[in-house]
Amino acid sequence: MTTKTFLHGKPIDDVIECHEHVSPVSLYVKVLLSLFVLTGLTYAVSFADLGPASLWVAMIVAFGKATLVAMFFMHLKYDDRYHGFVFLSTIIFVAIFFLFPIFDLNSRARLNEEQGTFFRVNQAGDWNEAQRTNKGQVEAEAKAAAEAAKDAAKAPADAKAVAPAKP
Amino acid sequence: MSSAHGQGPKAPHAFFQHHYNTVEQQAGAAKLGMWVFLATEILMFSGLFLAYFIIRILYPEMVLGSHELLSKTMGGVNTVVLLFSSFTMAMAVRSAQVGDTPGIIRNLIMTIGCACIFMVVKYFEYTGKFAHGIFPGKYFDYGRAAAYAAEHGHELVGMPHIFFGIYFTMTGLHGVHVAVGIGVLVWIMLRAKKGHFGPQYYSPVENVGLYWHIVDLVWIFLFPLLYLVK
Amino acid sequence: MATADTSSAHGGDHAREVSFYAAKTGLKSWLVTLDHKRLGMMYLVGTMVFFLVGGIAALTLRTELLTPEQDLVSATTYNKLFTIHGAVMVFLVIIPSVPGALGNFLLPLMLGAKDVAFPRLNLLSFWIYSLGAVFFLITLVNGSLDTGWTFYTPYSTSSGTAVVTATFGAFILGFSSILTGLNFIVTVHKMRAPGLTWNRLPLFVWAIYSTAVIQILATPVLAITLMLLMIERTLNIGIFDPAMGGDPVLYQHFFWFYSHPAVYIMILPGFGIISELIAVHSRKHIFGYKAIALSSIAIAIISFLVWGHHMFVSGQSELAGVVFSFLTFAVAVPTAIKVFSWVATLYKGSIEFNTPMLYALAFLFTFTIGGLTGIFLGALSVDVHLHDTYFVVAHFHYVMMGGTIIAFIGGIHHWWGKMTGRMFNEAHGRWGCLLVFIGFNMTFFNQFIVGQQGMPRRYATYVPQFQQQHVLSTIGSYILGLGLLWTAFYLLRSLKTGAQASDNPYAGASLEWQTQSPPIEHNFHGQPRVDTDPYNFPQIDRSGGMDHH
Repeated sequence: MTTKTFLHGKPIDDVIECHEHVSPVSLYVKVLLSLFVLTGLTYAVSFADLGPASLWVAMIVAFGKATLVAMFFMHLKYDDRYHGFVFLSTIIFVAIFFLFPIFDLNSRARLNEEQGTFFRVNQAGDWNEAQRTNKGQVEAEAKAAAEAAKDAAKAPADAKAVAPAKP
Repeated sequence: MSSAHGQGPKAPHAFFQHHYNTVEQQAGAAKLGMWVFLATEILMFSGLFLAYFIIRILYPEMVLGSHELLSKTMGGVNTVVLLFSSFTMAMAVRSAQVGDTPGIIRNLIMTIGCACIFMVVKYFEYTGKFAHGIFPGKYFDYGRAAAYAAEHGHELVGMPHIFFGIYFTMTGLHGVHVAVGIGVLVWIMLRAKKGHFGPQYYSPVENVGLYWHIVDLVWIFLFPLLYLVK
Repeated sequence: MATADTSSAHGGDHAREVSFYAAKTGLKSWLVTLDHKRLGMMYLVGTMVFFLVGGIAALTLRTELLTPEQDLVSATTYNKLFTIHGAVMVFLVIIPSVPGALGNFLLPLMLGAKDVAFPRLNLLSFWIYSLGAVFFLITLVNGSLDTGWTFYTPYSTSSGTAVVTATFGAFILGFSSILTGLNFIVTVHKMRAPGLTWNRLPLFVWAIYSTAVIQILATPVLAITLMLLMIERTLNIGIFDPAMGGDPVLYQHFFWFYSHPAVYIMILPGFGIISELIAVHSRKHIFGYKAIALSSIAIAIISFLVWGHHMFVSGQSELAGVVFSFLTFAVAVPTAIKVFSWVATLYKGSIEFNTPMLYALAFLFTFTIGGLTGIFLGALSVDVHLHDTYFVVAHFHYVMMGGTIIAFIGGIHHWWGKMTGRMFNEAHGRWGCLLVFIGFNMTFFNQFIVGQQGMPRRYATYVPQFQQQHVLSTIGSYILGLGLLWTAFYLLRSLKTGAQASDNPYAGASLEWQTQSPPIEHNFHGQPRVDTDPYNFPQIDRSGGMDHH
């Protein structure tokens, strides 16, 4: 009875297979150098003012680096294809996980702006107001104020460095 | 020996477990198990990445204002360190494949060294932030943080405690993974010293390697998103 | 514990060996065992203990609801009780029940393997399960929990109850679930006996495999969600808590990305059991083998696309609601394929109305009602009316209790002889099934009606017009409880007084029936080989009765 298991498109007779591949050192060195180059690239680009495009550039570079690591350091290129399948399907499910909440958030904001119902704190003042309702924060502030007063009494010259006033 | 396929079956080694039928079955199961575990790791981190993206969408100015307080240089150094450790880890696995035990130990020591450097840099980053009142969540000291930002020519906008909340959570969970990684790396290094690994049997080295590479992969995405992106 | 070391006429080529129970004895032989069969039995005991805990909470709730006023327990206690009932039943009972107990016991047997791929990991996941259970028990004595099992923010970040302890318990239980899933995936891939191709796997294995896929893909997100919730509660980082600038709807996205697929973690193993029960007890080759097998995988995948239907009235965008509503209907297709295949299997089958089969038929009835009412709730406009009413309560009890638990009990009966070496009393079993079926439907069917009339869930009091139906529900729940206790009683009694089980009491054709009852420590004498599929039943021999085969 032949089993129908395929590896790289060719039928193999045993279901249990082990895939070993010894890559040459030179390959690992090349991959490492490419990773360094890509890191330098993404670091340099971060100083250029690309605006919203910078996210895309950084993500494309990061995906490039991740691919190099996965394919060569993690041997996916030579490994059992099922391992690659596991890895890729994970990425697909992560994409699903990202897709819906982001889609929801974007469409939510649009719809709610029309109705004027969506509350979003955007100003520091608003937040500080909201923050005050938090008990822990109130206590922390009281404590900080007490300390600041104590420090100010002890060493007035250092007061600026220790407890700057809230903007 | 580019592939075991076509060679005869391997002889049972000292770590062969009786509920398997062949050595290849045991090695294949170990590796598949590791890949499935990596899938869970990726999905777990993806939750934090999604939280990050949502916060970016909700408060773009706040995220851009806050991330300027992170040190690109320290992040960059850590990136290089982790990438290099990934390389030495891959070399350790290769040494095991070709039966070079001193090579395994040497490469593992370099990997552990890089991991420690990473943690030390992280320590200085964290304490540097704490020194200026930059704590996660409700412990965030807006006044001191704003003063610190002003010193460096930046301005805090909105609710920076959220950005630093997610920053500490993401890098913290990643740091926990690095720490666990150091533990398992030391464990397989001690086993390598006992001569446990060779072409016949190196699943633990390979699997710890895969784990270490995934820790690296997560950092590859963390670094630009937290430190670099405008 | 009973041993099957009898001299009954089950010759074969091998002498009979002692069962795995007798192979090793003492407490340590259980607590640090690597044997999947012992771990399966321990999961069975663990889930049943917590089934009792959750059940007592449920009966207290039902008793409180006998009258419209608040009398038996305070409103706060009521909140804690339904939370404990939900959290215990979901995290400690239903999710680990079938995979943990029957899956562990049967999967390696069905695959012809000596054990799961990673026996030590298996032991670890059992102990993680126990640790999670301990955290739930700590929660119970340490102020309990009143957020509902969903831990919705912002209430869970401000509630005065032991949210962090309970969350940490659920977080830990998630890892148990992940490790079990990982173990099963690798086991199915790597440990199959020679000749056991994917198309010859028993459908229970396919179901457990699909479940494991969901456990792997969804549970890590639960882990990170609960971790973020714990951080939010202790540090207020402002991701989920609106007071700190977070988005509570985001919490629901996170939570349901796990918890909707988790619904299929709960029901898919039940599907697997039903496929086995219906085929074996109607003595017919399963209808649509590939359709049932692949529909499990399809359900596993589609389950990740529909979670927003829990959030139709939570403040997610209307557009997202429409998309999720549309996608929700897609789940009905593979589910219907299964139900139709089971019915087609029964058609012209030689049906034996014994206890396992009665449970399978009960499942077909109750699960179909549960599934179809899910379609009502998946329709956006209908859900706006029915959301958070007893209609929802009735729907998910029809799926979880009427689906998973009924299938689980049926499966326990089906494999009882294999697992314990003893047969239960068939007449007792039928009476038990009847009580459970009547009690269950009496409890929950009229909740559809009362919910549709506007009775909201999670309230200790209600307007007097609903009293009649609530009384009916409560009486039904007592009958259900009685049926379950009766079932536990005669099953436990059979351990002492039951007849010796033959190796294959129901003449099944899958591999678990090819070994002794209970199995020997290493499962099989030698390496089993497979050359046919598990539903090729030998010609039925009516003259000899069931025990003859």
